[in-house]
This record gives sequence, C-alpha cells and structure tokens, in this order.
Amino acid sequence: MKISAQQYAQSLFDSVAGKSEKEVKAILKSFVAILGKNRELNKEVAIVTAFLEIWNQEHGEVVATLESARELGPTARETVVDYLKTKTDAAKIILEENIDKDLIGGFVLRYGSKVLDGSLKNSLNSLKNKISN
Amino acid sequence: MSTTKDFIVAQLKEEISGFKAEISEKSVGKVLKVSDGIALVSGLAEAMMSEILIFKTETVEVTGVALNLEENQVGAIILGDYTAIKEGDEVIATKRILEVPVGENMIGRVVNPLGEPMDGKGKIEAAKFYPIEKIAPGVITRTGVKEPVQTGIKAIDAMIPIGRGQRELIIGDRQLGKTALAIDTIINQKGQNMKCIYVAIGQKESKVANLVTKLTEAGAMNYTTVVLAGASTSASLLYIAPYAGCAMAEYFLDKGEDVLIIYDDLSKHAVSYREISLLLRRPPGREAYPGDVFYLHSRLLERACKLNKDFGGGSITALPIIETQAGDLSAYIPTNVISITDGQIFLEPDLFYKGNRPAVNAGLSVSRVGSSAQIKAMKKVAGKMRLEAAQYRELAAFAQFGSDLDADTRKKLERGKRLYEIFKQDQYQPLSVAKQVAVYYALINGFMDNVPVEKIKEFEAGLYKYADLNDAVLKAIETKKEIDAEVETSLKKLIEDYKATVDYLIK
Repeated sequence: MKISAQQYAQSLFDSVAGKSEKEVKAILKSFVAILGKNRELNKEVAIVTAFLEIWNQEHGEVVATLESARELGPTARETVVDYLKTKTDAAKIILEENIDKDLIGGFVLRYGSKVLDGSLKNSLNSLKNKISN
Repeated sequence: MSTTKDFIVAQLKEEISGFKAEISEKSVGKVLKVSDGIALVSGLAEAMMSEILIFKTETVEVTGVALNLEENQVGAIILGDYTAIKEGDEVIATKRILEVPVGENMIGRVVNPLGEPMDGKGKIEAAKFYPIEKIAPGVITRTGVKEPVQTGIKAIDAMIPIGRGQRELIIGDRQLGKTALAIDTIINQKGQNMKCIYVAIGQKESKVANLVTKLTEAGAMNYTTVVLAGASTSASLLYIAPYAGCAMAEYFLDKGEDVLIIYDDLSKHAVSYREISLLLRRPPGREAYPGDVFYLHSRLLERACKLNKDFGGGSITALPIIETQAGDLSAYIPTNVISITDGQIFLEPDLFYKGNRPAVNAGLSVSRVGSSAQIKAMKKVAGKMRLEAAQYRELAAFAQFGSDLDADTRKKLERGKRLYEIFKQDQYQPLSVAKQVAVYYALINGFMDNVPVEKIKEFEAGLYKYADLNDAVLKAIETKKEIDAEVETSLKKLIEDYKATVDYLIK
C-alpha cells in the first residue's frame, strides 16, 4: 500500500515527540533512509508541510499572515494577536507581517483557511461592484 | 428633464455615504486543479455539501458548487465559464446552499437551471429563493392520489390514467414521440388549474425553441415555465436542472397548487452525472455510472407528491422521460427509473411505424395508482380497455395464420381494429375528457360496429363536431363526472342522431 505524505508526517511527529536533539538526528537519518528505500524522497515538500501542520496543531500554535498598507504599531499588533487567540483557542500566535502598498489602507489577515479582508482596496472593489450592478 | 446633474450627484453622494463595506471573516481556499467543469480546491475547511463557492478570477466571479468534501480538498462543479479560472485563484465559501429563484414571475418564461432568463424578456423578480435539494415530504404530510391529470391523449387517459401527485415514466426509443406526449399533456392543462414546468435536459436548443413556439401558440405558456439546459450546456448545469425545476414546482406546492413537471430526459441527466462523477474520480459501477445513480433519481422523483389537506393539499405530478437504446428496457437507468415511478408509458417502434400514433404499448404500459384518480364516467367506459387492447394484439398476430375464425373471435378482432383506430391521435390535439368518454361509449356499446375501419377517423371527427354543436351532453359529463341514466340516454341519442347523418355505414 502506498503511504501518503500525511501518514509519513504523522509517524515522524510521533517518533520525534519528546526526544533529545541527538536522538532526533538519528531518527531523521533512518526516516530519510526509509523514504529513499520507498523511492518517495520527492514527497519532501508535502511531508514538511504536513509535519508543520501537525506540529502547530499539537502545540497549539497558529501561523497567521498579516498584510497591511503600513507597518502596524504595537497596540494594533496586540489587538490582532488577541483576536486570533479568541478565535482559534491557540496558545501561541506566530504572526508573519508583510507590507503591501497596493492595499491602500487597512489590512488582510489570513490564518488557516480563513481570511479577514479589511483592506481599503477590497472595500473600493465592492463599492465598484455595487455601483456597476 | 426630470433628472438634473445635481440630482444625480446628490444621489450618488447619498449612496456612497450609505455604503459600508462589510468586513467579515471568510472561509477561503485555493484552486489546485481545473478541468472540464470540475475544480479541486484546497482549504475551505468548513465547506458544506452543495454549498455555493465563488471563484475569484482576474476578470469575473464564477460560481461553483461543492460536491466532494475530502480530507484536504474540496471537489466542486463549476456553473459558469470554467476557462476563466486559473490554478491558484481564490475560492470563497458563501455559507449558502445552492438555491434558485422561484415565484409567480417564473411562469411564461424560459430560464436556465440557475433561474436566469434565457428568453430575452428581461430580468425576473423572484418572490423567494428555494434550495435545489430538499428532502421529499414525509408520510404524515401525504395522501393518496385521487384527482386525475387529464393528458388529453385518448390511449393514456383510458388505459393508463395518471393522477395528481403520481410519477409516470414515459419510456421509449428516440423519435417515437415521448416529448410529444408530454407537450400535448401540457397543452391540455389549460383551464385545469395546473401549473406546468418543462425541464429540458440536454435537448437540442432548436427543438426547445420549436416547442416553446408551439406552447405559446396553444396559449400554454400562460401557466408554464421552461427550464432549459441545452445540449451545449456543461454537465454541471445539466445535473442541477431537474432539481432546480423541482424547486420551482415546490413553490406552487407550498401554496397548495397542483403542478405538473416534465423531466426531458433523465437518461441524459444520468449521463451528465456520470461525467461529473468520473471527473471527480468517484469509482464507476455498472455501465460506468457511479454507485449513487439510483439515489440521484429516487430523491428527485420522491419529491413528487400529493399533500393532504392539512398541508395545503397541493401536488406535484412528475412525468420523467427515459430514452432507451434499441428498446432495451433492462439497461441500468431504465430499470432504475421504472422501479422508482408509479408506472410507465412504453412507446413501441412497431406500433409507431404501423401508424398507431401515439405508439403506446398497452401490454407493457401500466399505471399503478392512477385508476383511483379516473373520473367515474371514464372508468365506466374504459374499464377493461387495456386488457382488450392487449388481447387484440395477441389475437391479431394469431389470426394471421388462419382464416377460419369463430364469430366471437371475429367480433373481438373487428372491435379491436376500431379501438386501435380510435387510439390514433394527431400531435398538438389533446382531447377533452368528455369527448373521450363519448367516443369510447360509442365504441363499447357497438355504435361503431357498422362503421368501416378506414372511416373511423372521419366518423370520430364528425362526432366531436356534432357534439360541440349540441354541447349539453358534453357539459353534463364534465360537471357530473359520471354517466347516470339521464346522461346515458342523451348520449345515446346524440350518437344515433349523428349516425343518421353519415352515409358510409355498412349495411
């Protein structure tokens, strides 16, 4: 039977849980050996993505990206992190910030498969749609 | 001029100041793959079954419907121009199940399966939106079928009666007049307190255009909606077309009205569903149809119903059409639909090419519940007609071998010949139930025995004309719905009087 990337990632996560750095190195070595034997080294990207997902889920971490027109101040950032914490029940929020001048104003927050689009660009677009219809 | 530029500017300012862009959290995904009207979408963790998805492309927004919910991805059918969608495009979940506009304004219109006008008569203001998938009414809400649907077709109304709330399958090879039966039925619903919905699934658009013209000419578009998913439409729209038509019918059902819905045809519907299923990589089964192709049609036809008084007393009568290949009734889809419906009207090529049109095969056609819906008058004259018609065909085949027949058999044969002559009926000429009763009465009581077989048609036409001139009898049959002694004497008199005017009787 074929083993999916998800299954590889899950077993990797299970085997490295609570191990020391040295042990992890050994585990990774044999893990890669298995992948090589199964001729599935090309699944690397998918396995890494799935592994990160499992890791984040198990450790209560949420990765979110925030695009804004200007850099956010500390209070604004705090508000965003608090919002995410209440929404996702996560212990830790990893916020990746990007500056995107095209948004004109406001921000776009993405986490998981959710998007909170509060950018001026989006509002203008919907205003445009409303007028043209 | 009533509109000045100041007025326009003021209005615009007002609109803009009143405009508030809503910021709400949306569930989004990304297109992984697009092909042949199907898209695979990642993300969309909270997507629901048959939820509307919006594909945001560079130029337009295209709608789609979630059909496969898997661990890491969602399989969706695309209800628009899928060529505009590119890999990586954003997909937004709308949290709305697919729904269509319904209401009185749909009547007289030709719409696509999404309820958008196709007839160039402008926008349709919908009263409401109904979900296209709905669980059929339960046992508590239903009642038995007891009121008739008058199809206006002699052979059907007499032998295979259809009741309001029934599901009667029309089945036969191509070009045998399946659609013609359905259209005649629609035309005959004038003044019968019935709304009609004709769902064209994978039909040639020229055929549908023709048919709409015919319906308009006959004045039938005043109570008819045509849902058109033509042959050039994508499989996804073909797939939702009958459900959309049914949703439109349910609006009238909920108002306590009677609706007749025609699905023309469900074999093409099954084919379109097979296409979608195979593209979504669902495992194929018999004839490559997916495992749930039975449920595909059973859930649709189960929505046809007769509700009891407490629930409005409305009804949906369904006439699904199935096209067989070379008369093969035992193919997968025909057997499925035969087992779902309350009977079938089987059209036969042999009869058709002999000139017996409509080519209804009396032996193989049945109506399991319709006889309780027949009016008394019709029941009285048509009681054993189905049996007689079937027997005649056997006897006729047998009688070809020998000429020495006893008087009884010969009499049966002569009667049968005349019966089959009466069953012949031209297209677009549905007949009122009173006239049907009159002609059948004349036949079974021997008034036609001395009319030559080749003159039956002429005799029949003359009888209708004569009855129209002295329409008291027809009116009596229509209002009383039965043949009592009084009606019987006047009917007898009418036929005898008419016979006195013709000169071709056998002496």
